Amino acid sequence: MIYDIIIVGAGMAGLTAAIYGSRAGKSVLVLEGNIHGGQIINTINIENWPGDYKTTGAELMQKIYKQAVDLGAEVEYDEVIKIVDKGEQKEVECEDAKYTARAVILAMGTEPRKMSDKQARDAGNRPVSYCATCDGALYKGKPVVVVGSGNTAKHEIAYLEGIASKVYHIHHDDPIPQDAAAVFVAIGRVPSTECVEGLIELDKEGYVVANEDCTTSQEGIYVAGDCRTKKVRQLVTAAADGATAAEKAVRYLNKI
Amino acid sequence: MKEIGAKEFEAEVLQENGLVLVDFNADWCGPCQMMKSVLEEFAEKNNTVKVVGVNIDDNEDLAREYNVSGIPCMVLFSDGKETKRVVGVQSVKKIERMIGV
Ligand SMILES: Cc1cc2nc3c(=O)[nH]c(=O)nc-3n(C[C@H](O)[C@H](O)[C@H](O)COP(=O)(O)OP(=O)(O)OC[C@H]3O[C@@H](n4cnc5c(N)ncnc54)[C@H](O)[C@@H]3O)c2cc1C
Repeated sequence: MIYDIIIVGAGMAGLTAAIYGSRAGKSVLVLEGNIHGGQIINTINIENWPGDYKTTGAELMQKIYKQAVDLGAEVEYDEVIKIVDKGEQKEVECEDAKYTARAVILAMGTEPRKMSDKQARDAGNRPVSYCATCDGALYKGKPVVVVGSGNTAKHEIAYLEGIASKVYHIHHDDPIPQDAAAVFVAIGRVPSTECVEGLIELDKEGYVVANEDCTTSQEGIYVAGDCRTKKVRQLVTAAADGATAAEKAVRYLNKI
Repeated sequence: MKEIGAKEFEAEVLQENGLVLVDFNADWCGPCQMMKSVLEEFAEKNNTVKVVGVNIDDNEDLAREYNVSGIPCMVLFSDGKETKRVVGVQSVKKIERMIGV
């Protein structure tokens, strides 16, 4: 089967695009390498999503996932490895299968930046976490270390100070303290755009170069959410992109 | 999904013949809530695998004994012995593949 639209990533941007694409009467397949919901599912208190004050990421995304599926979008759990642009058809190669669509929306978001190799060797067999609110409570009364110097790191430190016996704070490349029971890494995020390297124009940090209307360097391929070049990376802007990209894709499909 | 504690663990998991999937979780963990709905979907499709939950705050000893260092943590027992485990939210498909059903 050839889908009208394949969406890569089932985070806020991808699922919103699926809602809009399905409501426009198009066949929509969302491909997700991990679990639907995206990076927000670890967050337990969202205060700036209009209409749902103080909700959790998991709850919010579960609702949006159900909404997209209810409107007719299909969701497959398969990681996209490569996309081949054959003009009016785009081939999307995944870990398990290959899918074809007439239009593609990229919504891969971002992922935590990994520790340097040196630090990873230093950490040895100790557990490494990218989310203090997820795993912090497992180290009650034990010393832990936070790597990083930005806002996220400060946030993680403040959270862990209420739980761990001691919270070491080190920077990128510093040695890891011997007695730390776990390593919490908070050194920023990088775009998950590996699967489109060579296909589409990326900026030097790896974000998909895009216009505000979510068009990219390739015709019939659109981009939505945190993985594109933009100023504000938030849930509402990801959702807005999802709508814009789907609208663009639908117009393109109605023309070809 | 049935939630069990240390008291039931012996009978419900270790003495059980066949496959038991134990989901270590906690109330404060958002991804765990998501994992629960995935596991419910999994359980509906696969009645040859028993699925139980263990709250790690109520059962710190079990969490320590099974070396749970991140949650949700799904541990597969076959005839009472741990055979596989996976940490972090997974899709139904990944769980099925891990178990081989
Ligand atoms: C700790 C934290 C707290 C935050 N708090 C807030 C907040 O309070 N309010 C707010 O508005 N924003 C918040 N944000 C920002 C918000 O989470 C993001 O802006 C938003 O989730 C981006 O959505 P997205 O769909 O673009 O990307 P993501 O949520 O990153 O989703 C991308 C999806 O694509 C999948 N994917 C990636 N590569 C592939 C591939 N090759 N094949 C298949 N699937 C793939 C990923 O697995 C993921 O599910 C927070 C972010 C973090 C990290």
